[in-house]
Amino acid sequence: MARSRWGASWLSRGRPDHPPVVFAAKIDNAMRLVALDALAERIGLKRGQGAAEARAMCPSLDMIAADPAADQAFLEALADWCDRYTPLVALDGKDGLFLDITGCAHLHGGEKGLVSDVLSRLFALGVEARATVSSSAGLSWAAARYGHAHVIAPEEADRVLAPLPVAALRLPEEAAAALERVGLKEIGDLLEAPRAPLARRFGSLLLLRLDQARGQADEPLSPRLPVPSFSAERRLAEPLIDEEHILELTRHLAKDVRSSLERQGEGGRLFELLLFRVDGRVFRVKAHAAVALNDAERIAALFRERLQAVHDDLDAGYGFEILRLAVLRSERLDPAQQDFSGVPDESQPLAAFVDKVSARFGPDCLMQAAFAESHLPERAGGFVPLRNIAAVMDAPAEGKTFPENRPLRIFAHPEPVEATAEVPEGAPRSFNWRKTRYRVTRAEGPDRIAAEWWVDGEDHPTRDYFRVEDQEGRRFWLFREGLYEREVTSARWFMHGVFA
Amino acid sequence: MAENAVQRQTILSLRETIARIENGCPPPAMPTTREPDPAGFRRDREGASHRKALPLGIPPLDGVLRGGLPLQGLTEIRNAETRDAGAAAGFVTALAVLYQQERKSKGHLAPVLWISQGLAAREAGHPYAPGLKSFGLDAEHFLFVSARTVKDALWITETALSVPVFAAIILEIRGNPTSLALSESRRLHVKARAGKVPLLLFRQAGEEEASSAFFRFRIRPAPTGERPLPDGSVLCGSIGHPAFHLLVEKSRFQASADIFLEWNPHDRRFYPIDERRNAALQTNDQPENPVDPLSASAGRSRGAQPLGRLLAFARAS
Repeated sequence: MARSRWGASWLSRGRPDHPPVVFAAKIDNAMRLVALDALAERIGLKRGQGAAEARAMCPSLDMIAADPAADQAFLEALADWCDRYTPLVALDGKDGLFLDITGCAHLHGGEKGLVSDVLSRLFALGVEARATVSSSAGLSWAAARYGHAHVIAPEEADRVLAPLPVAALRLPEEAAAALERVGLKEIGDLLEAPRAPLARRFGSLLLLRLDQARGQADEPLSPRLPVPSFSAERRLAEPLIDEEHILELTRHLAKDVRSSLERQGEGGRLFELLLFRVDGRVFRVKAHAAVALNDAERIAALFRERLQAVHDDLDAGYGFEILRLAVLRSERLDPAQQDFSGVPDESQPLAAFVDKVSARFGPDCLMQAAFAESHLPERAGGFVPLRNIAAVMDAPAEGKTFPENRPLRIFAHPEPVEATAEVPEGAPRSFNWRKTRYRVTRAEGPDRIAAEWWVDGEDHPTRDYFRVEDQEGRRFWLFREGLYEREVTSARWFMHGVFA
Repeated sequence: MAENAVQRQTILSLRETIARIENGCPPPAMPTTREPDPAGFRRDREGASHRKALPLGIPPLDGVLRGGLPLQGLTEIRNAETRDAGAAAGFVTALAVLYQQERKSKGHLAPVLWISQGLAAREAGHPYAPGLKSFGLDAEHFLFVSARTVKDALWITETALSVPVFAAIILEIRGNPTSLALSESRRLHVKARAGKVPLLLFRQAGEEEASSAFFRFRIRPAPTGERPLPDGSVLCGSIGHPAFHLLVEKSRFQASADIFLEWNPHDRRFYPIDERRNAALQTNDQPENPVDPLSASAGRSRGAQPLGRLLAFARAS
């Protein structure tokens, strides 16, 4: 909120002269404050206070309706931004993030360096944040919210925990209140108390949280996104704006990824390019490959089309400072050897074509024919998105044969026509289709196709298909829906397709 | 006098360049006594003169086409009315089958790519895979793309022309859109020739329009013959193999032609319609319920309007 009103650098330049800002939401049928800024805290407002009361205390109060969805989106954007430090980022409730920095800290100048880097960058972005590095998630949570330490060594855990209030243990509100009521105000009191009576009185959750904070019980973090198996990234001193440069860098990254892919004998099917913009926004661009790829040129070509397609959404702003290429899904790729027969392998250029087109128009744009065991024409054959390129290039299996009298073009929705027939059950003599009258000279039929009761239900009408030719030689496929006297009293006619 | 000769030389060399670009023989009226140009304009004339072609097996048509269907480059097929789209789609599919057969005989199982403007498929129906299969096409080796706009369709076509895998590429466009005019068709033609791929431009409900295609066919529906019975007679009142009325509207070699054809999906080839039926068809050409042909042209001036179309001007004052 502050960033959008006063610009991203409001923290470093100093807060403009503005009345205290609070956020209010409806809780238990009353407007109550849910969040307040530092100035509001200083004049004595509290979380959970009624909105009217707060206004009475400070008439100039700037009260804004709370928007949890926007808060969540902001937190997720922040989590994306934190991807630069470690791929394991987990959301914690509505106002926190866990970063598992095991094995990453040395890349950012040790734990101390990492924390100060995070905080100074967030400060520059206009985000007030607190952070603590420790050996357990519970301890970090407690110290970041209630303590002051930035880095806590494992053996210092008890010493840091002791003076903190019991609320720092991530307990439900009533449990914390109950503890305070009996005089156990600080965690230190709990540490000294015998465990069995505590568990009996306050439940096992208290002890679990206590153990988690002390690092004696494991607490698995669930990261927001799966960790890519292969990735490469490049940090830049000067931000990039030009698309050509981004692609050039992508090619370099693809070369880095390639070497690790080759070592594992795999090729990527789904790639993701993460673009970290200078002002903290992160763009994720995904690209599918039709076959497993490890060739840098082709990976870069994928992103060339993809960037063209998302061009409007991708706002470079002041440029991108970090680029990361990740392989989200990979498959086994057997190294192929060129043979000497002189016949080029044709599936490679086709795969390149499929990649190009689907990167631009979406993966479902290219379609191949799919045949199904059904008598109903619209179910028997259709087009499905292309999934298996090898099937298009290989020799076909002995496919099933179709009745010969199937039209070349079919309407997705049969179009109603007005037809007149000589006898009720017979072929039409003439019909009106799209406001034109056609006189039938020859007709073949009926080709009776009953509905599939196991799909459509038992009372679905039967269709009688007729293949008719008009005076000029146009051939149409008409059907009458419903059998006279058995299913319907007046049947309707439809145009379903046209023949050559 | 000498200046005049130089000018004539320039004009001659330009004419030859045009002839070479158009990939045909130079016009016979032109005197060809001149030595080859040092700039190399006539270098690959031998290669160009015997163009690769796929014979259709029908002598009058192959004569008009100078040997058969071109194996690379642009061929345009159009129909005048949306309701004839079935017949035109049949002819296009038949050509695709022929191209696919040709590639198969060389040992390649090459797919056919059908690129369709979304509007075209909505108006005249989607291609139907079982129908394509019973028409003789290898439907397993068939890819279909539905593009939203003409520009998208053109982009996909150009991308497809640059990869040498397709037996044939069909581009289905509705009407005469401004984004596919002479320069674009020229571009497609050049790309198709460079990629050595036949490109069939299927113009649904479109008007005659200048383009760079080798040939432009206009397809009209034609009544079929009757189904033959094993004893040699025909089954009365039955509908036989699909038939087409083919008009060659544009050809670089000869005047236009007007031929009735029949496609046999089993043999996968065209047959001419026999003489007696042909004669009957030629005379019985007047439709009973003519429809004023409305083309689906969009955003394009339609040339000279017929006299009397504009009855009164808007009042100026």
